[in-house]
Amino acid sequence: MEEVIIPIIVVPILFIGLPWLVFHYITRWKTAATLTTDDERLMEELYDLARRLDDRMCSIERIMTAENPNWRQIACDPAATGIEDRRAAPEPRRIGL
Amino acid sequence: MSAKHTKFYLDKENRKWKGVCAGIADYTGVDVTIIRIGLVILTFVGGFPWTFIAYWVAAWLAPVKPRELAGETPEQTKFWQGVRASPARTVRDVRSRFREIDRRLAEVETYVTSSNSRLAREIEQLR
Repeated sequence: MEEVIIPIIVVPILFIGLPWLVFHYITRWKTAATLTTDDERLMEELYDLARRLDDRMCSIERIMTAENPNWRQIACDPAATGIEDRRAAPEPRRIGL
Repeated sequence: MSAKHTKFYLDKENRKWKGVCAGIADYTGVDVTIIRIGLVILTFVGGFPWTFIAYWVAAWLAPVKPRELAGETPEQTKFWQGVRASPARTVRDVRSRFREIDRRLAEVETYVTSSNSRLAREIEQLR
């Protein structure tokens, strides 16, 4: 009895189960996580763009702070701060003219 | 066909023997010395023929790093290592950067538009 049962179990496992498992993972590996060259280029471009915009934002914020140091509070709540007091802040330095 | 950034290449510039370890270091961002020491330790603790076989197979199969990928700044190298580790995380990173920029830009916009309206009101009062 033993000699009959064991091959019946083992042979399908070896010849059907194992290849199935292997091919299952091969197909999953093939379909997953493949970045094409275009994807790569797009990604690099977006990353670069984000960096450049970040830099621009920084310089804009620097300029705004130089012009009016508490612009952030005014931007947050214009009503509460009331009319912006330009006399308290030093006169903005003019370039040229 | 330009060179892909997300493939494994042999790094012949920083090689000791064939450039596999330097390639792994370049691919993952782990320090090359650690990888070399790890490989040597692995060889001594029992991986004796297998590490050599793996090394040779890698050296035989992997292409040499193309020249157009050579002139990368350290920042670019780091970026591509991040992409290779997890493209999804890199995309999320970029998205969060854009959101942050959007938020800051909205602040600036609020200030500029509100100060314009304030200016208009002041002019109105002077009349």
